[in-house]
Amino acid sequence: WGKLLFSAADLLVGVFIDDILELRGVPARTRIWCVVAWLFNPFTFTIGTRGNCEPVVCAAMLWILICLMKGRVLQAAFWYGLIVHFRIYPIIYAIPFVIVLGKNYAGPAGRPVLTQWISKQQLQSNKGRENVEEPTSLLANLWNFLSSLITRDTILFGLFSGSMFFAWTGIFFYLYGWEFLNEALLYHLTRTDPRHNFSIYFYHIYLHHQQGFSSIQRLASFLPQLIVQLALIVRFSRDLPFCMFLQTVAFVAFNKVMTAQYFVWFFCLLPLILPWTGMKLRWKGLACALVWMGSQLHWLMWAYLLEFKGRNVFVQLWAAGIVFLAANTFVMIMVIRHHRHTPLFSVPVGPGTKIAAKKD
Amino acid sequence: QAHSNQQYVNCMPCSRTYVADAYADALTSQLSQHHDLTEVSDTTDLCKGLADELDVPTLSEVNRQLVGEGSHRRLIYSVKFGNFKDAMIQFLDGYDANLVIIEKLPSGVFADPFELQHFVERKVFLDVAVFGDTNLELPSALSNRSAVEIHFDLKTSTSMDYNLVIELPLHARYPPLDASGYATVEFGSPDLLLRYRRKETHPDPCMWAFQNLHVTPVEKAAWRIPCGDEAHTGFVSSLTFISALVCSMSIVLAASLTT
Repeated sequence: WGKLLFSAADLLVGVFIDDILELRGVPARTRIWCVVAWLFNPFTFTIGTRGNCEPVVCAAMLWILICLMKGRVLQAAFWYGLIVHFRIYPIIYAIPFVIVLGKNYAGPAGRPVLTQWISKQQLQSNKGRENVEEPTSLLANLWNFLSSLITRDTILFGLFSGSMFFAWTGIFFYLYGWEFLNEALLYHLTRTDPRHNFSIYFYHIYLHHQQGFSSIQRLASFLPQLIVQLALIVRFSRDLPFCMFLQTVAFVAFNKVMTAQYFVWFFCLLPLILPWTGMKLRWKGLACALVWMGSQLHWLMWAYLLEFKGRNVFVQLWAAGIVFLAANTFVMIMVIRHHRHTPLFSVPVGPGTKIAAKKD
Repeated sequence: QAHSNQQYVNCMPCSRTYVADAYADALTSQLSQHHDLTEVSDTTDLCKGLADELDVPTLSEVNRQLVGEGSHRRLIYSVKFGNFKDAMIQFLDGYDANLVIIEKLPSGVFADPFELQHFVERKVFLDVAVFGDTNLELPSALSNRSAVEIHFDLKTSTSMDYNLVIELPLHARYPPLDASGYATVEFGSPDLLLRYRRKETHPDPCMWAFQNLHVTPVEKAAWRIPCGDEAHTGFVSSLTFISALVCSMSIVLAASLTT
């Protein structure tokens, strides 16, 4: 019955994608293609049918996004606390959520105003008149920025989701004791799984598994991940779905362990950014897809030789992992360069508000 | 025949499902391979009665082969009983009899308890249990040894002419590092027991009798598993971290340069 539940969640994700795009004013024809990009993606529907719970996590994340878009802060916080308890990775979205819930969250009616999608033709004619916010400049006034984060909504969200997380953790700790804490949370800190997986770190971990790891090594593997996450958050958090997508791809690519089920985490966010990309399927979009899939197949070939033919191809497999990381980086850079940055929520236009220039 | 071959005939209460669990602790302390399993079980007066009376089946031939390629292979046992067919039928008419195979797995090889449960569900085995370390993820250096106990119902062997073929799927762990690039894991000898009890009358208390089926030592089975080479550590670690840094910096640069 688990498989039925996960497949139902998979379909629910399709419904949510449609909802989110409709709220942002994407026309029906474009929406259909975006939903198709999720429902017919062979990587994703096989995950649910094979019994993996990731589609449920995706559905929850999209629901949280819908709640934030409709101004239901408490409900978003409820589900966020629950989902972080269920799967730790959504914690990476915490800072963007808080940033987005900051000073400019609620519009004049008390509910957030969503920036509507405009087609490329309209964009050309609207040049100069547009109220498009640039990605937050790194030179922005830090104090202004930090103080804008302290609002009723951000505090509510932070406190409620935090309490939810601790409440659920507490309940399960009460039910299952230390075993639960070790398996669910602490495991991630001391995890050393040297078996082959897409991550570039697997062979390094295997070569060191008998000696243990120094603090410098641990830090060195954590640093690139941290740098990328912070850079993405600082640059793109106002365009929330785009930021979430990039953060997820980066998180998966730079993680110590990478397995195919993690791909679902960003595949559910991909349809949300498609209407805003300048990349056409031919040929840049196709190139990205082929580079990504090709490097994956390359890795799988070496993994097959290692696991099912018993050949010692550790070095080749490790190199294939690095090639896959390069492919992920390539796709990320392509997506960044062709994306029309559009904040999720419109800055309310008033006499005291500055309309940011479109270009730097 | 049976009387001249009379070796250990031990008994265990029916409530004790498995034989090998008595050794679960001993396994982790590297117990000698040749220790006779049946010495541990209890012997009672009731048991002695069972032992003397009948022609318990004996084995004429046992073969064991490791089959397959790569990290997932199968250990195939081919077991032939030496008794005449009629004698077997007569024995199985009066007694419930199981073949018990206990394979003490070497370090570096493990059995998946979930996979083996499917065999029980599909009635290939009567029962199966794995003792010792069943953590499927850890490499050899960080894990302990395990043992597998298979119970095979001899009633089903009538269709096979009392020549049994039993398959045990096994998986290799990541071995400790070695410069040669391959580690060889060798299997010790399995223990084969016959477990039987009378069918109709169930004496109080219910007891299983065990006969150790002594066989000539089976062929050695060896498994060659690829392993990492410590000499790679230098360039692998440095290139890994450099690649991560280069990729992360590229992404940060691309993000900073967008308009």
